[in-house]
Amino acid sequence: MMSETILKAVNVSKIYGKSKALDKVSLEIKRGMIYGLIGENGAGKSTFMRTVMGLITVDEGNIELFGETGIKGLQKGRRRMGQSIETPALYPDLTARENLRVQAANGGVSDREIDDLLQLMNLGHTGKKKAKNFSLGMRQRLAIASTLITNPEFLILDEPTNGLDPSGIVEMREIIHRLVTERGITVLLSSHLLDELSQVATHYAILHDGQLIRELSKEELARETRQYIELETTEVQKAVAVLDELGIKDYEVISGSKIHIYESLDDVSSINRSLVLANLKVSRIGTTRQKLEDYFLQLTGGTSDA
Amino acid sequence: MLNLLTAERIKLSRSKKLMVVLGIFILLPIFQAINTKLNVENGKELNQVVDTVINGATGIMMIDKNALTIFLVLCSFVSFFIGEEFQNGTIRNALSLGRSRTHYYLTKFVIAGLVTLVGTIIMTALGMVSFSIIFGFGEVADINHYYLYSLKTFGTLYLLILANVSVYVMIGFLTKNSGVALIWSFLYTIATGFLPDIFRHTKHFQQVTDWFTETFLFYYNFATPAHIAKFPDMVMVSLITIVLSSTLGIISFKRTDIK
Repeated sequence: MMSETILKAVNVSKIYGKSKALDKVSLEIKRGMIYGLIGENGAGKSTFMRTVMGLITVDEGNIELFGETGIKGLQKGRRRMGQSIETPALYPDLTARENLRVQAANGGVSDREIDDLLQLMNLGHTGKKKAKNFSLGMRQRLAIASTLITNPEFLILDEPTNGLDPSGIVEMREIIHRLVTERGITVLLSSHLLDELSQVATHYAILHDGQLIRELSKEELARETRQYIELETTEVQKAVAVLDELGIKDYEVISGSKIHIYESLDDVSSINRSLVLANLKVSRIGTTRQKLEDYFLQLTGGTSDA
Repeated sequence: MLNLLTAERIKLSRSKKLMVVLGIFILLPIFQAINTKLNVENGKELNQVVDTVINGATGIMMIDKNALTIFLVLCSFVSFFIGEEFQNGTIRNALSLGRSRTHYYLTKFVIAGLVTLVGTIIMTALGMVSFSIIFGFGEVADINHYYLYSLKTFGTLYLLILANVSVYVMIGFLTKNSGVALIWSFLYTIATGFLPDIFRHTKHFQQVTDWFTETFLFYYNFATPAHIAKFPDMVMVSLITIVLSSTLGIISFKRTDIK
């Protein structure tokens, strides 16, 4: 049940000189969500996360954590959170176990869970190896283990798959899923790749130039980037008549030569036959999906050729 | 704050930099005692005003004798100790858990103060032992109650050093970078240590230079009764320096954005 509000940001702004790193960003994250922040580099993702973590001050607006506001309230709320922002923040000369002991001490919690966490993150074998000798994937996993030592209810991960190889990305995705399903953690994560986020997140916010330009759920994203039959013909009016005869209602005339059909996706050949029998010149017909990347660029005003 | 101190203890238990600092504090007095012996064997005459430490009793002034070395070692240690937290991003780990920035700052200061205390105790103790073995324990001229004098001297010297350490901590938090902190700490040490030598020649500026703790360490003799009488002034200047630098450092750190 997604009822309790974990994070509520209202009109949060952060100004550096004359530029607004965050411009009146408002969003709400409820318990159980995997909330994905998407935006190009410099869109304001990390800045927003840092304001939530109290690492940078907010110039305008208000942040509420676990229903708490104010300096003391937010400090209390932050004790129920964990974070890994940008590069994994580790002590290079300490082992995985020692890094976790430091974070346990920082959080004022017992270090009894260290062994379990090392196993969970597949770091049980690292022994006396120092963190500086870890691969990037291992460091990312250790950074997440470090955030989990304080048993957070809300986890903030800034570009957790940044720099990882494909197997590392898959592994990280599985870890996030496990944290949500096994530990019931609410997650706020960021990426500049919508395609990557779409495989994990349940909700999305698209940031562009410091502004939140779109907030949508996984279902809404699926609907807006759904699969369709793309039909190209010189006689759109005739084609529409044929589609109506076939009982197809969910379609959209995109231009004078293009129609998108959102139903009967498995009946491309029979639709094509009907169009041909009606003496229509069909230059192209086939199923396609709007790429998430194109969708994102469309929203942010970029171009897919970029 | 106790939690943060525990975290610092774990970090320092593996710190090579701390080992290097303690190594210098251990080896330096032994090396100096041997070096002094060789100089005496080669005809040099020891003079307390010039050499500061000439026997076991005057070994209590090892901090005074090695003030510049102690400053340079500690400013390097503190610069890395604080700067690396910013550069590795590990400062976020504690602060994002809702830990108070004031507590974080004070934790770093307390640890720097403890390292200074341990280092100066080691240096003083080994200096006294080494010089006693070679030159005998002897005495400090005109001092009747040595134990009381030694406690006062060590306490004052420690506070004078701690005041500078407090400034290094402030510089570390202001610059947020080991290298930059190191340069500014070094410049502060050199400026407040050697510029008074010029300004002390004028009557008005002499009083101004007495507001810098290094003036006492570099231009006062801790075995002279007239200068011993200045101990309360030294303590006051040290405490004012600690309070001012810490207040400035905390206020600035609380307003700092952590990248």
